[in-house]
Amino acid sequence: MTQTITIDPVTRLEGHGKVTIQLDEQGNVTDAHFHVTQVRGFERFCEGRPFYEMPSLMARICGICPVSHLVASAKACEAIMSIRIPHTAAQLRRMLNLAQMVQSHALSFFHLSSPDLLLGLDSDPAHRHIFGVAAARPELGRAGIGLRRFGQHIIELLGNKRIHPGWVIPGGVTEPLAPAKRDEILALLPEAYSNIQIALNWYKQIADTFQSEIEVFANFPSLFMGLINEDESVEFTDGALRVIDAKGAIIEDGVTATRFTEIIGEAVEPYSYTKFAYYKPLGYPQGSYRVGPLARLNIAQSMGTPLADIELKQFKQLALGPLQSSFHYHHARLIDILYGIEKIEQILSDPLILDKHVRATAGVNRLEGAGQAEAPRGTLMHNYKVDENGLITWANLVIATGQNNNAMNRGVLQAAQHYIQNGKFTEGILNRVEAVVRTFDPCLSCSSHAFGQMPLHIELLASTGDLLDTVSR
Amino acid sequence: MGAEPIPCLILACGNTLREDDGIGPRLAEWAAEHWRSDVRIRILSRQQWTPDLASDIAAAQSVLFLDCSIESNPGCAAVHPVHPATARSGLNTHHFGAPELLSLSRDLYGAMPRTALLLTVGAASLEFHEGLSATVQAALPRAIDLLKSAVCDLLSNTGATSQSHSA
Repeated sequence: MTQTITIDPVTRLEGHGKVTIQLDEQGNVTDAHFHVTQVRGFERFCEGRPFYEMPSLMARICGICPVSHLVASAKACEAIMSIRIPHTAAQLRRMLNLAQMVQSHALSFFHLSSPDLLLGLDSDPAHRHIFGVAAARPELGRAGIGLRRFGQHIIELLGNKRIHPGWVIPGGVTEPLAPAKRDEILALLPEAYSNIQIALNWYKQIADTFQSEIEVFANFPSLFMGLINEDESVEFTDGALRVIDAKGAIIEDGVTATRFTEIIGEAVEPYSYTKFAYYKPLGYPQGSYRVGPLARLNIAQSMGTPLADIELKQFKQLALGPLQSSFHYHHARLIDILYGIEKIEQILSDPLILDKHVRATAGVNRLEGAGQAEAPRGTLMHNYKVDENGLITWANLVIATGQNNNAMNRGVLQAAQHYIQNGKFTEGILNRVEAVVRTFDPCLSCSSHAFGQMPLHIELLASTGDLLDTVSR
Repeated sequence: MGAEPIPCLILACGNTLREDDGIGPRLAEWAAEHWRSDVRIRILSRQQWTPDLASDIAAAQSVLFLDCSIESNPGCAAVHPVHPATARSGLNTHHFGAPELLSLSRDLYGAMPRTALLLTVGAASLEFHEGLSATVQAALPRAIDLLKSAVCDLLSNTGATSQSHSA
């Protein structure tokens, strides 16, 4: 008799999802899916709203990465306005986005994944959480909390709120940076450097002990995509898209937001409310790709900051060509954090950072606009259409988690097929399947969006579990 | 963590969009206005308590947690002592109560407030709605009296000298 293993909910994620694993009569895995079970609907209820409301409206999608939505949304609005924002405003937004990346990555690495990395994937789940980390290695717990506070404090200083800040608007930001705030952020930097070095040193010591997981945690050839500067360094707020293949060859480069729909398509599957993005020239699902920390490091030649560049060099020595195992997302995430701290310091030394000109103004000059930015977990696109009065008539969001969706599902299947044999599994094995998803740090509240008519499949089950009826749309 | 320990930290929790769940933030708002010039008191209000707050707690000589309760009778306001959690099973990253925060503060920073109290008000309704239910609204004066009294006790226990602006 066939059997289904259900992991519901998948724990230590941002949002709610579940995993189902189908076994054949011999108890071997035939298929597995990662389901995102919540639906949101932001694209629909923003219709009819003035376009300039979109950044603050869209930021409510998520409590973890609202800044990325603010930035991508503001950029889409600026495309509608046909304006270029002042240099200082662009730098301040970049700093805000990096601060968010640092705090979000700290949450993912320290709060959600470090219990597995420190205590072991087979350790007692009753202790496999942040409390266990605090008891076993308090300096790691303190480093995580310190980095979270570093990012959140900067967000609060700039945007006046730790979660769902305002400040970023179409045209720039609402107010310039005050000298006292600049000095306050500068004073936070030494502790942030110290905390990320603790984490990086520790991770590099223990990474080799996870060699067997590295082999089967979404370890397969795929495309990688992210934003990059003209000098081939990592970029979080501006830049253009680059896509590389599994061997590292560049197959798309310099793709600006206005052109992203030429190369990115979206598919839907009946088992998830998250869309599945793909590279159009290869079709779906062959054109599936990965975004986020691993992709950013795979596509870039440099980080553009001295300490992170040293780390990137070591990282790239782990493989010939792009690193394929999603386990390496953890390492890449820490390098991202180091880069973020360094880049914030660089931005604060910009002689124009206190400049008062931080906002450009205009009305509707185009009826469609798109913006893109790097969210902590990968590239994010907002695309809007408006009428002559600037009211939204259509909106679409392409979220990082949707872009990683196919790779997450493939990764879950790969791990399940490797670990579950003859119907035998342990809690530690199921935790490994969950941990594959955690490497991507998916943000499920961000990712749940309708596109066209979502497929719907309802199964009516008797109390015995027998299938009584099905309805499909 | 700041260099100078704060004599009294008031830490509120609740969602003001879920009716009586907003009692903690509502009391924190009152406290912020009432003790706005009192440097001995620091007030933080959050929709949910997270592990990051452990460092704030470790830097405080005393702490007063403010929250609604679904176990107390609706409108019943009470103050209880809080001790660090000992049973750690079943924890998740989406909810930390006052005992868990105290134990995290101790484990991570080796420091904990000398005294920790929890002021709760029993919820009558947690529906999607801004504002408090009539039952909890009626209990607000009693809750404020308890809040004033608890802060007064905590400050006297820490030996913090009085401030001209404190009431």
